[in-house]
Amino acid sequence: MVEFKDVSVTYSSGVDALNKVNLKINDGDFAFVVGPSGAGKSTLIKLVLKEIDATSGDVIVNGFDLKKLRRRKIPALRRTIGVVFQDFRLIPTMTVYENVAFVLRVIDAPAKYIRSRVPYVINLVGLSKKAKSYPTELSGGEQQRVALARALVNDPKLIIADEPTGNIDPELSYEIVELLKGINECGTTILMVTHEHDLVRYFGGRIININQGNIAFDEVIGGSNEDQQH
Amino acid sequence: MKISSINYLVRQGLKSIWTNRMMSFASFCIMLVSLLMVGISVLAAVNLNRIIGGIEDMSEVVVQITDNIPDSDIDELKSRIQMLANVNTVEFYSKENAWKEMMDDMTEEEQELFQYADDNPLPDTFRITVVDIQKMNETTTQIETLDNVESTKSPTDFADVLISIRRILLVISGAIIIALIVVCLIIISNTTRASVFARRKEINIMKYVGATNGFIRIPFFIEGMIVGILAAAGALVLTKFAYEGVYNIFNDDFKRWNILCVRNLYSFKSMFWQVAAAYAAAGALIGAVGTSISTGKHLKV
Repeated sequence: MVEFKDVSVTYSSGVDALNKVNLKINDGDFAFVVGPSGAGKSTLIKLVLKEIDATSGDVIVNGFDLKKLRRRKIPALRRTIGVVFQDFRLIPTMTVYENVAFVLRVIDAPAKYIRSRVPYVINLVGLSKKAKSYPTELSGGEQQRVALARALVNDPKLIIADEPTGNIDPELSYEIVELLKGINECGTTILMVTHEHDLVRYFGGRIININQGNIAFDEVIGGSNEDQQH
Repeated sequence: MKISSINYLVRQGLKSIWTNRMMSFASFCIMLVSLLMVGISVLAAVNLNRIIGGIEDMSEVVVQITDNIPDSDIDELKSRIQMLANVNTVEFYSKENAWKEMMDDMTEEEQELFQYADDNPLPDTFRITVVDIQKMNETTTQIETLDNVESTKSPTDFADVLISIRRILLVISGAIIIALIVVCLIIISNTTRASVFARRKEINIMKYVGATNGFIRIPFFIEGMIVGILAAAGALVLTKFAYEGVYNIFNDDFKRWNILCVRNLYSFKSMFWQVAAAYAAAGALIGAVGTSISTGKHLKV
């Protein structure tokens, strides 16, 4: 669960990135975060990951009160969150398998568990045949699926996807969001930041629109894919 | 932390030496040169110290004993001198001995001049070596107050010169070594910083998936340590050749140096394990500490 209470962020340059934002994302939600560049979307994500601290207000993520969270405990917070970036951020010197297994090694998981869990997750994103490839040998869509597997392997409560479709072909974008939807159906909360309104309109769901540091719109809309089904 | 994790981290460290081999090689070379410079400076300082120590040990206080006193008085004087704090050895040197030594040093013509001397004009003496050459003056004064001491002769001026040479040498060699260590640390931390910078993305990802700082550092730490130890091994081999080269020059012509009271230099063999251990420890420490310092900056994500 993610909760923002009167959260404001002012950068040292004097820019107000967020202005008394109140927001609550419940466990199991799937929410799109949309809005123009510079609206405060990235700030929102940085707050959740405790990359930055709120100037005022409280941020609570998966039961951690981030204002009170010590630096030393940040890894514990991040282990409950999976992150997918626009630029994938895979480690180029590691194979697909190693990139995914890496997360489990970081949290000191038993070797036996790693050996069973990693192939399972790689299979889930449909890359079993590429497990031994290096990221540079994969297409953008495939790389993003590896990143998704990496975010997922740890079985986090929350997955943050920061423009996950920004660097891949439009037709593959739908595939990625479908995967995220599938993950969400298994109970994982998903927060997806995106620019692509077509995508949002197609899938529907909860839309949080941020504009100039304020929440301009926060409602659930029906997706066009559902209209087609009806 | 589980053994399998430690295993993994060590393997990661080894692997990244190879993946970043150009950077590892650069670190290796710089560490090798640095260790070599410091190592040779230390060895030179140690040996110079030993040479001066050798000269110091040879400076004696000569005590002239009053003529014609009974043997029992001589023995008493000897034991009194021995009781003084700074006295190391006391050796009795009879007038006959001194006479013979003097004759031996003369040319034949000079000897003829003294052949007909009816009496030996030389006194009986004690030759005394001291523990601490800096207190030689004090000790000499103490000896002069004793009964049956005619006079004393001590190379106190010479001792002062030696003391100041030693002091200057200590300061200079200390300053050079400290300067070298500082320079080495700066260069090494910059080199490792470059290699860490090249992998800042990797570190960044580790932070996002919840790696603790320790976990991120260990492979760098191991990498730095291994490169350091390899550099130490290289430095050891080079030092051995350089040192033995110099050592042989001194040893082949040992007699000439001996006149200058130069004692044997330490042989490399006798110091091998100390030098090897010091190099390995310094290499591992510099490598590990250097990488740790430079990773620190990139850990604040």
